[in-house]
Amino acid sequence: MMPDARANDIAIIGAGPAGMAAAVRLAKAGHRSTVFDMNATPGGQIYRQLSESQVSDAVMGKDYARGRELIEAFTQADIDYRPGSRVWWADNDASGTSLGVLEKGQAQQWHARQLILAGGAMERGWPFRGWQLPGVMNAGAAQILLKQGALVPATPPVLAGTGPLLYLLAWQYLRAGIPPSLILDTAPATRYGEVVRQSRRAWFARSYLLKGARMIGALKRAGVPIHQGITALEAHGDKAVESIGYRHRGQWKTHSTELLLTHFGVTPEPQLARSLGLTHHWHASQQSFVPERDDTLAVGANLWIAGDGGGIGGAINAEREGQLVALAVLDKIGGVDPVWQQEKHSLLKARRRDLDARSLLERLFRLPEAWLDDQPEETLVCRCESVSRGELDRAITQGGAGPNQLKAFTRCGMGPCQGRQCGESVTRLLARRLDWTPEAVGYYHIRPPVHSITLGELATKE
Amino acid sequence: MFQRLDASSTPVRHVQIWLDGTPHKVPETLTVAAAVLQLRGWQGYRRHVDGSPRAPLCMMGVCQECLITIDGRANRQGCLEPVAEGMRIERQGGGAHDA
Repeated sequence: MMPDARANDIAIIGAGPAGMAAAVRLAKAGHRSTVFDMNATPGGQIYRQLSESQVSDAVMGKDYARGRELIEAFTQADIDYRPGSRVWWADNDASGTSLGVLEKGQAQQWHARQLILAGGAMERGWPFRGWQLPGVMNAGAAQILLKQGALVPATPPVLAGTGPLLYLLAWQYLRAGIPPSLILDTAPATRYGEVVRQSRRAWFARSYLLKGARMIGALKRAGVPIHQGITALEAHGDKAVESIGYRHRGQWKTHSTELLLTHFGVTPEPQLARSLGLTHHWHASQQSFVPERDDTLAVGANLWIAGDGGGIGGAINAEREGQLVALAVLDKIGGVDPVWQQEKHSLLKARRRDLDARSLLERLFRLPEAWLDDQPEETLVCRCESVSRGELDRAITQGGAGPNQLKAFTRCGMGPCQGRQCGESVTRLLARRLDWTPEAVGYYHIRPPVHSITLGELATKE
Repeated sequence: MFQRLDASSTPVRHVQIWLDGTPHKVPETLTVAAAVLQLRGWQGYRRHVDGSPRAPLCMMGVCQECLITIDGRANRQGCLEPVAEGMRIERQGGGAHDA
């Protein structure tokens, strides 16, 4: 530990449902944790701006009520909450974890004996031709604009991709009076039937499924065309999107629009976990790498991951995992309280059931693994360095046999997003070309800084 | 272009910012990137070093497509910085913006 570092027994990175729940549970047991969060207000992405909602529940839906309670508990509890803070490096040893923090432009050094990573998820980077054009945005990004400032598209957008968020945003836009002009889903219509036939899981997943069915029903009644089972997507335009192309039932079709909102699922935000050198496994059903956690959600000595950063489970599960991790920390530092064991038991049971049901959604919204192969070779995989699928294939032919070699050959993944948008695409492409598993291919080596920091900011260090 | 819903639930305070030298009042809950998308849309948001036009993709600190100059500091992540009274924002595009 550096002599001039600030210290706390427990630090939490992220103030979404997992981080807030962990901090609240720890505060209830008398422990004041330090919570670092990038955003200006608590809630993470799902509960963003809920402390001062900009849009009524009639538009957004009722699911945010839980978030309001959680934010209120978080705001009232004794917590050292530090909004506008980015943790740009972390180093773990027997004494705990040292952290480099940039708080509102000021560099600080911290040390935490126990660290909970609750950085959550990000929308999956999923290349298609023209996805770098202005006028293509992630559906989650458009929903952030809605939450943050009641901002909606001035003209009806097209929503394309797959997953619950696609239909949720479409439904919210419908409620707001600007229904999408078209919804394109990569999941074939037949899949919905297959999934519902899995009766036991379907029963436990009924709230998810019913909600989805209600939203799709409302959109169809409003006359929004929904095409399921599209097999290709393109954005066309010179300086910005003018139209899109898609393949449905073997036929290419075009549709005029200036805004294409896409969603291809979410994956754990990997950067900090990767930079700490944590072991990751390929999760076949989630189609993503996830960090390896033990039964207590620990990923190392005095180090835990709670919420979607450890594998996608959704907001309610993230809250549960936050509480579970808080209890694991309490076991470690406060001795074992029998009441906690009961609490832990019921949390674990609910978590098991929820994650089991959720595997049904993973099946329903499964992405085509061969998608990237089918893209025209000029399709950008790395947006930051403008590296195309064709360039990557040429580098593979020349002997580039791993993600780090491809990075060195092509600069893919070397831009400011540090591979967050292209990392798993590169893994996928190599796995298919070399006929290896994604796990055997692996991922980029990630080194700090995991957020961009200027020399000037570094020089502000106290 | 994005516009504010009339039926928003909360009356919001506004702050004055300067975008490419022009003053605008925008809701104080917005980040810089959100304010630019409301005021100017995505066309002309920024130009990539390869010359191609780009605009924010993720709005949550991941993609770095929202890079913009804020109070004289270049390459700030516009989606992570809330707007503030008197803030000066310049789009990064080598002066070749269309909008």
